[in-house]
Amino acid sequence: MPTVMELYQLLPKTNCKKCGESTCMAFAVALLSRKKNISECTPILEGSFKKQKEKLESLLLPTAGAEETGMIVHPELCTGCGNCVVACPVDVANDPKGAAIGCAPTNDKVIFRVVDGKVIASNIKECRRFGKNRVLCYACIDPCPTGAIEFV
Amino acid sequence: MGIDVGKFLKAPEYDIRITTYRDIFQIEALEQDRFGEEYKKLSAAVMMGKSDMDKMGFKAGDRARLTNNNGSIVVEVRATRREEPGGIVFMMNSPWSNSLVSDDTRGNGIPEFKNISCRISLTKEDITPLEKLIAF
Amino acid sequence: MVTCTGCALLCEDIDAVVENNRIKETRNACRRGAAKFRGCKNRLTPSVNKKQTDVDASIKKAAELLKTAKSPMLFGWSNSTCEAQAKGIQAAKKLNAIIDDTSSFCQGILIEKVLRKKFRTCSLEDIRNQADVLVYWGSDAQDSEPRHLSRFSYFPRGEARQRGYEEDRTAIAIDVRESNTAKICKGHFYRIPLKGDRELILALTDALSGKVPAYDTKRILELANILKKAEFGVIFAGIGLTYSIKDELDILVALTDRLSNFHILPMVGHYNMRGFNENLFKETGFVNRVRFDGKAVHDNKYAIVEALRQKAIDALLVVGSDPLSSLPRSVLPHLAAIPVICIDPCVTLTSKIATVTIPAAVSGVESGGSAVRMDGRVIELSKVVENNYLSDAEILARMMEGA
Repeated sequence: MPTVMELYQLLPKTNCKKCGESTCMAFAVALLSRKKNISECTPILEGSFKKQKEKLESLLLPTAGAEETGMIVHPELCTGCGNCVVACPVDVANDPKGAAIGCAPTNDKVIFRVVDGKVIASNIKECRRFGKNRVLCYACIDPCPTGAIEFV
Repeated sequence: MGIDVGKFLKAPEYDIRITTYRDIFQIEALEQDRFGEEYKKLSAAVMMGKSDMDKMGFKAGDRARLTNNNGSIVVEVRATRREEPGGIVFMMNSPWSNSLVSDDTRGNGIPEFKNISCRISLTKEDITPLEKLIAF
Repeated sequence: MVTCTGCALLCEDIDAVVENNRIKETRNACRRGAAKFRGCKNRLTPSVNKKQTDVDASIKKAAELLKTAKSPMLFGWSNSTCEAQAKGIQAAKKLNAIIDDTSSFCQGILIEKVLRKKFRTCSLEDIRNQADVLVYWGSDAQDSEPRHLSRFSYFPRGEARQRGYEEDRTAIAIDVRESNTAKICKGHFYRIPLKGDRELILALTDALSGKVPAYDTKRILELANILKKAEFGVIFAGIGLTYSIKDELDILVALTDRLSNFHILPMVGHYNMRGFNENLFKETGFVNRVRFDGKAVHDNKYAIVEALRQKAIDALLVVGSDPLSSLPRSVLPHLAAIPVICIDPCVTLTSKIATVTIPAAVSGVESGGSAVRMDGRVIELSKVVENNYLSDAEILARMMEGA
């Protein structure tokens, strides 16, 4: 994941406010949390910033696939062990006779499922990091030794 | 008539111990194609902790020759995924690591697959192809 | 739901989506299992003396080679069904052959102790329902038996373990390397030097007997204390541990004698290695390394590594295994010098040099049968797709017809 400073360094740093944010630093923060898009910075779309714009896009690429909760699954790192399937408190609550006791999920209300040896996430709105009463839950990240799940 | 000085300068050799392990990505590659590039890439490599690499002057991506009385192979040098205290280096169990394993089991029939002493030195040679390991 | 033969967990909850008699997708299988269902790129074809032939001719030639050999060995078996293993044991009897399997240089010595009841052991379901202290010792379950922690040992809720792993279970890793399993065990990772298992076992035994351990006193006492307080403890003994103390397994017996709530489960990779050990044990009282000669004789010289080193065999049948890949290269010249018969679904290093190759069905995918899980439970295998490949058991039956 890029840092706010890395993103800021690539912006025009003119604080022109065309994007709606009061400073370029604020825009960098908004970029990182995916509240703003690079194209909202109109000066950077001009030719002279071409290199910076490309760099910004490549830095932000890993977050492009993030679900609404900011969850990214890296299938190339996943071993399909299913630790997250069983450890996720939402899966435990929604599938007490399946995922909760270590078995294959018995319904489609679970967040994590393993398909072709890799985990995929669905029902993402059920995630405890989502919605009004969100909490900073690490239940799927902690049991993953390869870092295949991250939140951005 | 010039003399190729480099020819006589041997890369320094270090005594090391290798322990072997299994890796799920390597097992997957083995299931799919044990003659394939992916299996070779994962198997023909020695994983070293940063301190050992610094001490011996190795970099990730270098090639190293591993030699003992049982055999000699060329593999790629890679950094261990996690910080290791050093002193031992790691290889995934494969025909490459097995070519350095002694047949002396002191009669018990179990070779020392996970405790291999050998010498290591940098080389420019190519990684040992699998075909060479199964030619007798 | 079908059974996965990716490892000796034999997960029975796999959903295989079959379309046009091909597996299109697997659900719930880990990366290792999914690879097994996907199958290999290069299927084996029948051959004799490196010339293509048909299955019948290759089976006939194999029978002939085994019958004329003075000292044949039948080897492999850890990737074969119990039915094929039984056929193999019968064949060895009939041929007065040596029979050995991959456990010979893997977990055989530990499984033998379990079968002889030198250790307390338990089932994976017992572990899910009861276990509170888990010790992964010289074992990286995450990579070798990838669903071990999620299906049975650490993460699931069980009868007496309802509150989740953080509160109900303690996972400990003892290893020379920070493996994926060790990473999960976090604060309870005990790194030991190569071959340091012996010292740790002795130090723990001391600590449990009230003596002050000789080194790393604080951490050893801390570990001993966790073990002592366990209500239901399990040591998952991997080959890292077995190799390290292979000449003195009794020190592990002595340690578990001090831990009355502890069980030992040998960790097994190949899906039916324990099956072979149990089947041969029932028949002969030994788990591997047996020569039939009117009666069953067990000797370490019948271990495949020793037999090859001493050049004591003159023909080798290999079933579902790849000794050219898994044995020390130093013993392979003799293997390359004698007739080798290879029964396997896929092209292997061994099949490349074999005198006879016989293609087989992938067990658990293209043929059914049964196998023994790492904890001793018998599990039925599934036939997921239909094709013309013969199973290992069928090939062996035909090979021994009229022998």
